[in-house]
Amino acid sequence: MPVDATQYNFESGLKPLWMRAQSGDDAAYAQALSRIAQRLRGFLRRRMQSLPDEVEDLVQETLLALHLQRGTYDPSLPVSAWVMAIARHKLVDLWRRRGRRDDRHDAIDDVDEFLLSAPEDDGSAQHDLDKLLGQLPEAQRRAILLTKVEGLSVAEASQRTGASESAIKVQVHRGLKRLALLVRVGGTA
Amino acid sequence: MKTDTLIELLARRLVPVAGLGLLASALLALSLIGPVPAAMFATPVPWMKLAYAGAFAGAAGWLTARLARPITRLAEPRGAVLAVVGAMGLLGLLAWFATPGSDRMLALLGHSWLICPWNVAAFSLPALAGSLWAVRGLAPTQPRAAGFAAGLFAGAVGACGYALSCPEQSAAFVAVWYTLGIGLTGGLGALLGQRVLRW
Repeated sequence: MPVDATQYNFESGLKPLWMRAQSGDDAAYAQALSRIAQRLRGFLRRRMQSLPDEVEDLVQETLLALHLQRGTYDPSLPVSAWVMAIARHKLVDLWRRRGRRDDRHDAIDDVDEFLLSAPEDDGSAQHDLDKLLGQLPEAQRRAILLTKVEGLSVAEASQRTGASESAIKVQVHRGLKRLALLVRVGGTA
Repeated sequence: MKTDTLIELLARRLVPVAGLGLLASALLALSLIGPVPAAMFATPVPWMKLAYAGAFAGAAGWLTARLARPITRLAEPRGAVLAVVGAMGLLGLLAWFATPGSDRMLALLGHSWLICPWNVAAFSLPALAGSLWAVRGLAPTQPRAAGFAAGLFAGAVGACGYALSCPEQSAAFVAVWYTLGIGLTGGLGALLGQRVLRW
């Protein structure tokens, strides 16, 4: 596993919690498990794209195994490596149970899944975007929606609206500038 | 606390397995073959066998305990196992060269070279069942390797019991046929480990 910044942060955040948990601190244990669960979700979701419904089951199964096998952790080694070894074992076990053979050659060690895993989309981005776009003049909003959200070319957008191509470009440019301003003001307010 | 856990884990599982396995193999050997003449215990021969098998069991038990965990360092216990085998091999080699040329093959093959490895393996079966059970309750992520280590451990325990009944005299014999018997049990452990050590 590459030792990059994310990995390092995960480990350095987890280790003290874990050591405290092992000496009987229940709050630290709960906190450590929730960090691990988050990490596991990303790790497993990335590898179980064909079985998205089973990710959560496997996360829970791995957490249970971590709990039952916590005595097998050797404190001279990184907690994260121990956690991921168990997660990998559980994943392999799942594939084996399902008789799946095509994922065997997946290089599972060379990506940092933490960076790749998409966070849960809770719709708030869409909501914010709608609110911001609502504050633009109609022409600018339309130009942006057509070219940036729907992904039309400037020529297509010009055909759709009847405005000239250069007008579309100007509206997009002004609209984006205005949006940036709105965001900045909204951020400081 | 964690270091305690590891020691506890060793003490609670592998040590009783070693004790019971040794008892079982000794009983099997003594009842099926009978003990060596008591006079032999005045010579270093049976003690050499016991020392070899005992040291092997210790090193393989260490390796087994390490392999029962998801991530571990294997270098030291693996080195210990190899050192034990190497030391016995060296001793066997010395004995081979110390024997006059015409007697060498006789000393190496003894009277029981054909059955010795099988006896060692057979008398190890109770210990093998026990050691696989011990590892099964833990978290081996390399089931085959863990099964192999558990098999070596069991084989060494069985060899201890068999040493009570084995009349052979030569260190060369022990170095080859005992090691082969222990290796057989290790192979069996690896085969079983793949199936049994899932969790």
